[in-house]
Amino acid sequence: MTHTPSPDTQWPRWEVFKQDAPGKPHQAIGSVHAGDPEHALHTARNVFVRRPAAVSLWAVRWADLLTATPEELTTTPAVLDTSGESGTYHVGIKRTSKRSMTFVDLVGTVEAHGPGDALRLAREQHPDALTWLVFPESAVVRTDDDHGTVESWFAPAVDKTYKQQQAYGVIGRHVGELKRAGRMPGRVNEEPHVGDQKVYDHPHDTVKP
Amino acid sequence: MTAATALSATQTAALIRRLTALADDEIILAHRGGEWTGHAPILEEDIALANIAQDELGHAGLYLGLRTELDGSDPDRLAFFRDAGQYTNTRFTELPKGDWAFTMLRQFLYDAFEALWLQAATASAYAPLAEVAAKAVREEKFHLQHTALWVERLALGTPESERRTQAALTELWPYAAQLFQPVEGEQELAEASLLPDLQGVYTRWQTLVTRHLVEKCGLTLPATFPDSAGRDVHTDHLAPLLAEMQSVARAYPEAETW
Repeated sequence: MTHTPSPDTQWPRWEVFKQDAPGKPHQAIGSVHAGDPEHALHTARNVFVRRPAAVSLWAVRWADLLTATPEELTTTPAVLDTSGESGTYHVGIKRTSKRSMTFVDLVGTVEAHGPGDALRLAREQHPDALTWLVFPESAVVRTDDDHGTVESWFAPAVDKTYKQQQAYGVIGRHVGELKRAGRMPGRVNEEPHVGDQKVYDHPHDTVKP
Repeated sequence: MTAATALSATQTAALIRRLTALADDEIILAHRGGEWTGHAPILEEDIALANIAQDELGHAGLYLGLRTELDGSDPDRLAFFRDAGQYTNTRFTELPKGDWAFTMLRQFLYDAFEALWLQAATASAYAPLAEVAAKAVREEKFHLQHTALWVERLALGTPESERRTQAALTELWPYAAQLFQPVEGEQELAEASLLPDLQGVYTRWQTLVTRHLVEKCGLTLPATFPDSAGRDVHTDHLAPLLAEMQSVARAYPEAETW
């Protein structure tokens, strides 16, 4: 059966990097689809910075990123030959799998002849990383750090904290309150639900040991 | 700075009318924005518009909170148990959501109004309003950037998106003027520096939106007369909107928590 793939009509994908506070590293927190750099930043703000603290957002077009794991470099060492522009490259590394909310932390920059060279330098400087990620400085689109931007993009989120699930009640009384008042049934003793009933006999059920 | 006790009875009544008008516009526009949830052109914009709509609802909560300080009214009762005849929103906000261009253009015109009004309100001699305005204006400036960005991309996008954006502007322009109609007694409050001068806000709004829509986006402002009916006149679109928005609250009027 032949299958003709339909053309990809999605906007380009951008990786989003968020800085929680001055002095902290920018961290890769996810991606957005957007038509252009400015749109990518706006969308990133709405998707990722509605509540948590942030002071700066970067977006980098997915096509401008080069990533590799140690395993990938073993199987495809040619990644280190990836050519591109010479200049300053940002380096991101994943140190641990414990934090699931971020992919990599940006740990600094290197001067490299291209993305592959930057990846090689990243591996030399951080040999124990689980993943390396590099992109040229010229590919970054970032929020301004002027007062107006910080005030309108990031400051409102500071007052908006997450609520734990139990903070939301239910219509009427909370179930805990009803339990304490002895108004919730303990064990279900009515007719079993349809889903609980056996609707067919499995052959194994009849096999005697 | 003026505290609630220093307001005369006439001033209090006019301030309540203005706060309610602001809140009603926010509530109705937020509902129209919310109608895109699950339907926006791309997931990221679905989230973005839902965020903006929630912010607007939050602003309505701030305005109604100010009203509570003046007359002890319950914001939830006002939002969920008044019918179309009692709502004082503009027809501008209650028009059906239309296509994405209509939604973005309306939100842009509204965000420009609210950002400029709030900016002026930060200088209010009524301290509680000045505080609320300082808080809300930050979010509103971001809304304005976001919707301005969208209007620009639609107007300068494809012939189809340009046509739809121009059609939205042509339809919305006369309604937008309603945002600047003073409520009864508002002029006196403006003269006492308790509320922003609406005419001044209108002048700045016209400059801002003309610069963006005409000079940057190449759209044409229609030469239509503004819709001059007051906030007590509604289209047939408001009642069904309220019926949906209020259905849960009216079905469980004694609910203690939400």
